[in-house]
This record gives sequence, structure tokens and C-alpha cells, in this order.
Amino acid sequence: VTDTTVERDVVDLLVQQHTQIRDLFTEVESSAAATRTSSFHRLVWLLAVHDAADEKVVHPLTRLHVHGGDYIVADLLAEERRTRQTLVALEEMGTDAPEFPRLLNELRTTVLEHANREEAYEFRYLRRDVPAGELRALSAVLKTAEAVAHTHPDPAVEAAPENTLALFDRTKELARKAVGDVLDPGTRSSATGKD
Amino acid sequence: MTFNPLEQTGIPLDEQLRNWRELDVLPVDPDLSDPYTLCRIITMNGIEVESIMFSHNFARVCQDQDVTRKLAEIRYIEQQQQKVVNWLLPGQASPLETTIFYEQVAVDLTAWIARMEPDPYLKQAYEFGVLEDFDHLYRYSNLYEMVQHRKAEKLVQGLTEVMPGRPTKYHHRHPVDNVRDPYDRTSTVPLSKMHALTVMSAEQQTMNFYMNVGPQYMEPIARQLYQEIAMIEEEHVTHYESLVDPGETWWERLVLHEYNEVYLYHSFMQHESDPKVKAIWELHLNMEIEQLRIAVELFRAHDERDPDELLPPELPAPVTFEPNKEYLRHLLDTQIDLTTLGAGYVTEAHERFEQLQDKVMAGEVPPSEWVIDQHRAQFGTDYRSETDGPHPVSELRQQSGSKA
Repeated sequence: VTDTTVERDVVDLLVQQHTQIRDLFTEVESSAAATRTSSFHRLVWLLAVHDAADEKVVHPLTRLHVHGGDYIVADLLAEERRTRQTLVALEEMGTDAPEFPRLLNELRTTVLEHANREEAYEFRYLRRDVPAGELRALSAVLKTAEAVAHTHPDPAVEAAPENTLALFDRTKELARKAVGDVLDPGTRSSATGKD
Repeated sequence: MTFNPLEQTGIPLDEQLRNWRELDVLPVDPDLSDPYTLCRIITMNGIEVESIMFSHNFARVCQDQDVTRKLAEIRYIEQQQQKVVNWLLPGQASPLETTIFYEQVAVDLTAWIARMEPDPYLKQAYEFGVLEDFDHLYRYSNLYEMVQHRKAEKLVQGLTEVMPGRPTKYHHRHPVDNVRDPYDRTSTVPLSKMHALTVMSAEQQTMNFYMNVGPQYMEPIARQLYQEIAMIEEEHVTHYESLVDPGETWWERLVLHEYNEVYLYHSFMQHESDPKVKAIWELHLNMEIEQLRIAVELFRAHDERDPDELLPPELPAPVTFEPNKEYLRHLLDTQIDLTTLGAGYVTEAHERFEQLQDKVMAGEVPPSEWVIDQHRAQFGTDYRSETDGPHPVSELRQQSGSKA
């Protein structure tokens, strides 16, 4: 079996999400009008899941373990905020809007650059500075949280169940709860205290 | 349509200098570009790097200060051309993605040149080398899925197949067996000289790229695979540079370098699908025509020969990036077992080959095998993109849990 579901730790999981996001962008851009909305909703969903993992798991770890982590995270958070704003704008205009392709292409470039910065300036230091066992445990936790978010309530991705910001908030809350159950008390207070 | 660059008027040298704004080119899109556009960019970067380093080496042995100053003037333009070309690569692509495109270049450029090469000895040298770069593409593609969780077919887009070639572990040969016999400068056709220069430049840039980018990776398997393949690229530079007649005069070499640049920019202009990139090929062609004119002037003055003795009356058929799948499958089927002995080729693992292998391997599995073992352990099988059916060599067909 050649699938891409194999990952070893939380960094692998997130790098894998980066590539899925990247390929989903090209799918939305090249899809016909009839299917564009559904692939766009899948993209928004994946971005929400990834954003939740970034904010509730990865960034707190970076702040706690990586030298200069507060500054690294501040830069990345600013980029993530801009991504959410563009997503909201795209959602409001709808996939049929004449401006949609241009704005989507802009977003693709921004997200791709952001992913590269995360991998270069954040992930590589997590691998160096955080115990490997912790990174592996967090991967399992995030996968469970993602599964819960998928089923409860049913995201019904084909039908745009909720607006972008509500979706982002809900996945974040699930990620926060999931991680809170696993990290030890010392880590938990830092990992969840600065959102 | 015939094109003789010696009859064309290029851009005067003092009008070729570019400012910051002109140097600041817009890179191509990492996901929406034609893979062969990236291949053309990587090729021309290698060609420009060679032109710069050739000019530096010439200047270091040149005792005529007027010539040294003229070389410096041309070189300053060449290095701006290199910056513009290489800065077309997108910053969003990882070094490993760029590496996969380097190998796509090595496969489809070398295969095309092998197909077009009229001299049988030179053709054999390209056919031998291409099966090794073909295998490097396979090894790096397995690494790519392991560290970036993405399949290399997203990059090469089915234009080039990804599967084992001559296994990389067998590329470690005794250095004296990497030296080929040179062509004869007096009887070899200009096209063959340009082929040799092109492949040598591409392999040299690949060697430089790997030996610098390899240690930037953290993953032990990535660091070690780059180290192993960078060593082989050095063997390839030895292999291809030794094809060039060392008796060529410096002036002759200067003219051939400039002519080859004209030839390649003109070639790539014919097939370029990205209009912004095409405009750069056209601009650089017009710059190179003038640089060639100056080189010919120096050649006339110092070698006291006519360029007609050296150059063809018109540019040869354009160098083309296109799929070479059938040709490569034929080579896999017929030449996978070859190694070199002296300046020739044999199928048996001779004593000198075995001795070097024993020393380098020292009883351990090389990184190029380890990367496949690790991929199998992680995904259950190796990564391939066999668009035209199973591997032509039955022992190299894909099997779960077996060695490639």
C-alpha cells in the first residue's frame, strides 16, 4: 500500500497536512465550477484543522521549548490571522465571484510561504528541543481530535455547515481539550495558557 | 528556419548591464508551472555558472591585461545572467524539490543528447551516465515522500518515470575508470562539442548544488543520501569533462562556450510555454550574440584562425525537453549491468571496481539502499511512478519487502 497516512510524530503529521493543503489548492483552482464549492469547503476544513493544531499545540510548544519562541510564534500568528481574513473574504464572495480565482491564488501563495516558514523556523527546532516521545504522543492526540471534529457535529463538508470563523473556533476548542488531557500539568499550563 | 548567430546583431555590451529592478525577476509558480520550464531554468543556470567559472580560470592564466579586462567585462554580464536565471526558481520550493528537478534535467537532457549524438563513443558515454541519474531520481523521490509526505509525480507530472536505474551503490568506481578518451578537436563536429559542454556543465552544477545543500538537512538519511550522490556527481563531472579535447586553445574554448550559450537560449526560446521566462531567454540570446561576436574577435586575433573552421554555418536543431520514456526503458533493458574499465565499458565487476567498493562500503549498507529500506519500513513498499508499465528488468520489478 502506498498511502500518505504514515506519520511518526506531530511534525510529520503537520508536514503531511501542508502537502495536502498545497495539493488541495491546485485542485480547487483547476476544478470545474460545479465541483469548486465542495473542494473549496474541504480546503477550508483542512485549513481549520491545521490552524487549530498550530495554535493549540505547536505554537505553545515552541514558546515553551525553543529559544526566541515568543517572537517566532508572533510572526506566524500574524500570518495565520491574515489567512483567516482572506478565507472569510473568499467565503463571503462565493466560488462563482469573478474575483475568486485571483484572491484564491493570492491565498495559495501566502499559505505556501507560511508553511515553508513554519517548517524552516519552527518545526526543525521542535524536533531538536522537544523530547521525541512528547512529539509522538501529541500526534496521536491530534489525530483523535481531528476525528472527533469530523464527526461531531457532522461537518457535512459538501454543504458548508458553518461559517469559517465558527469552524476555526470549534476545531481549536477540540484541539485544546484533547491536548489538555495529555500534556503533564507543567506543560499544560504553558501549552494552553497563552492562547 | 536557419539561424547563423554570426550574421546577427546583438545588444552592445555596454547596454547589457542591469539595475536592481531589472535583476529582481518574478519567480515561476512552484505548483502551476510546466516541469520542463523548471528544467530549462536549471539547465541555463548550470550553463551560466560554467561560463563564469571558465572565464575566471581563463583570467587566472591570461597574461594579456587587455584580454583579462575584456573577460572581466563579459563575465560581469554573465554573472548577472546567472542571477536572473537562477532567481526564477520559486522560494516556496524546498531544496529537495529542486533536487528532484535537477535529476529530471539530468535524465531528460542527457537522454535527448544521447539520442542526437552522432559519435558512437560519445553517445555511449551519455547512455551510460543517464541510467545513473535515472536511479538518483528514484532514490531522492523516496526520500521526498518520507520527509515531505508528497509524491514526486506531483513534481515531474508523469513526463519522466520514477523507478530504479543502475543501482546507485554500483556508481562508486575507481577514479581512474571515470576518465574517458577525449574527442579529437580537429575531426569532431561542432554539435558533439556542444553536447559535451552542455552535459558537463549540468553535472557540474548538480555536484555543486548537492555538496552545498546536503548538510542543510537535519534528517540523518537525507544528509547521508546527499553525501553519497554528491560523490557520484563528481564522478560524472570527471566522466564528461574528460570527453572534451584538452588540446583546444583557450580562445577556441571561449568561442565554443559562447556559441553553446547562444545555441541553448535559442533552443529554449522555441519551446518555452511561460511567456515571462521566454522573454528572458530572448533577451539573453540577444546578449549572447554580442558576447559571441567579441569571443570570435579574440579568437581571430590570437589564434589567427577563421571561426568557420570551428563553428557550423547555422545553429543545429534545438535542444528539446521532452519525455524519453521508451528510450530509457530500452537502455534499462540493455545497459543496466555496465561499469567502466579504463576508458571503456564492461559488464563484469572487475578487481579494481571491487576493491574500491569494499573500501567505501566497509561492510555497511550505503545510504542509497538505506533510503529504500526505510521507505519500505514506513510505507510497505518503495515509491515509484511507472507510467508505461512494469520495470523492463524483471529483477527490478516492484515487490513488497524485497530489495530494489
